[in-house]
Amino acid sequence: MLTILLKSLVIGALAGAGVSAGAARMFHAPEIQAMGAFRTLGELNACKGDPVAHFSFGLGFYFSSAASVVGCGGVTQDVAHRIIPNWAAGLLLLKNKKVEETLYDPAKMMLVGTVVGAVVYSSLTLLASAVPEKLSTIAAGVLTPAANNMVNLVMPILFWLGALDAGKITGIWGTVLGGLTQLIMGNAVPGLVLGIICGKSIEDNGFTKMVKIMIAVIVVLLLVIGQARGFWAKALAALAGFGL
Amino acid sequence: MKKLHDLLMKENSFPLLTALLGAAVFAGGCMFLNDGFGLFNDASQTAMLLVGKTEGEWTTPVGYAAGFLIARVLEGPLVGILDIGGSMQTGVGTGMVALCQSLGLTWITGNFFVSLIAGALIGLVIGVVIIAVRKAMPEGMSASGTDIMMGVGNAAGRYLGPLTILSAISYSIPCGVGAIIGSVIMHKLDKPIIGGAILGAMIIGAFF
Repeated sequence: MLTILLKSLVIGALAGAGVSAGAARMFHAPEIQAMGAFRTLGELNACKGDPVAHFSFGLGFYFSSAASVVGCGGVTQDVAHRIIPNWAAGLLLLKNKKVEETLYDPAKMMLVGTVVGAVVYSSLTLLASAVPEKLSTIAAGVLTPAANNMVNLVMPILFWLGALDAGKITGIWGTVLGGLTQLIMGNAVPGLVLGIICGKSIEDNGFTKMVKIMIAVIVVLLLVIGQARGFWAKALAALAGFGL
Repeated sequence: MKKLHDLLMKENSFPLLTALLGAAVFAGGCMFLNDGFGLFNDASQTAMLLVGKTEGEWTTPVGYAAGFLIARVLEGPLVGILDIGGSMQTGVGTGMVALCQSLGLTWITGNFFVSLIAGALIGLVIGVVIIAVRKAMPEGMSASGTDIMMGVGNAAGRYLGPLTILSAISYSIPCGVGAIIGSVIMHKLDKPIIGGAILGAMIIGAFF
């Protein structure tokens, strides 16, 4: 319990520092590179520098994050996208209502964000660690088969249909690379992702230098991974049985 | 304070921020593997790591996250805002952790301090690449098809809700009933049903 608390405080503080400073820099982008998300920027603006609005916006997501970490162990992306930046902004705005001197200041946001991140993240992990054994067994028993179906069936199918719907060339590249990675690596998703990017790039810009480099890298990867997993030997053995 | 402000307002201090966040999301992913909670991601990415943990098969999280990481790193310098969801939380927190596991680098993922350092280094590299792309190619680099890929990837998460209800029903009758009730409540509250499905199954299942 104590090690989990200490680890969580460190992780949460680091995340809070990075995310909050990155969020403050969003107000100075694109002159300086920032990080966050366009929706985060929009939501921070929508709260109009009102501390109560920032707090209550973050609070709604805090509850769903708590539910998520108890159920499956993921704290959700909202912790970094929404809860930390909004609560850090809300705390700063309590003292000074001018957003130019608070929310837009990466140094102040970083300092407050460090504390907010540490508190938010460790409260979530401590909550998850307090869940009784029997309940977490049920959660794992329910979630594991669902996750297996998702990874082995739903995701390949969705990416495959996405490739086919994106046009002939993309569909062909997706089908070939997806099929190959299913054969070689046991899952079609990596090949389908690469097939969509390759196929669409060819469709839009033709065989550019970037596409050629990408294809070369993919071929090398497939050869190396196939060798490491013993696929080529198995494929040769299977094909050696050819006969009429 | 003034010094920190000046430092953080410089373009070149960006890799520092990605290193901080990289360390956090990577160590958070490792904490999920070791303790069962703490991943900086939603249920669908958590599910991918769960499959790796139980079956030892890491291909899906690696492939899925790599796609998001590439897309966001190409987009980031162009628009001036790096999307931390795809690049850091999914790309590093889920993808890089899965990559280390698939390569058998458990000395990285199994040790808290090593995982912090590894995550910081990965974040630093991502930040440096983005600043380098901004300086070298002001018009940006682009790869087509990333919008299709990310659209599909984001849609995939929705399927986990119904899948979880189906799975809860085959786990046991009380869990199934709980999952149905939980999903209804969440849907009524305009939240994704997956959370209600798992919590409902846990709460009702606990009594039997």
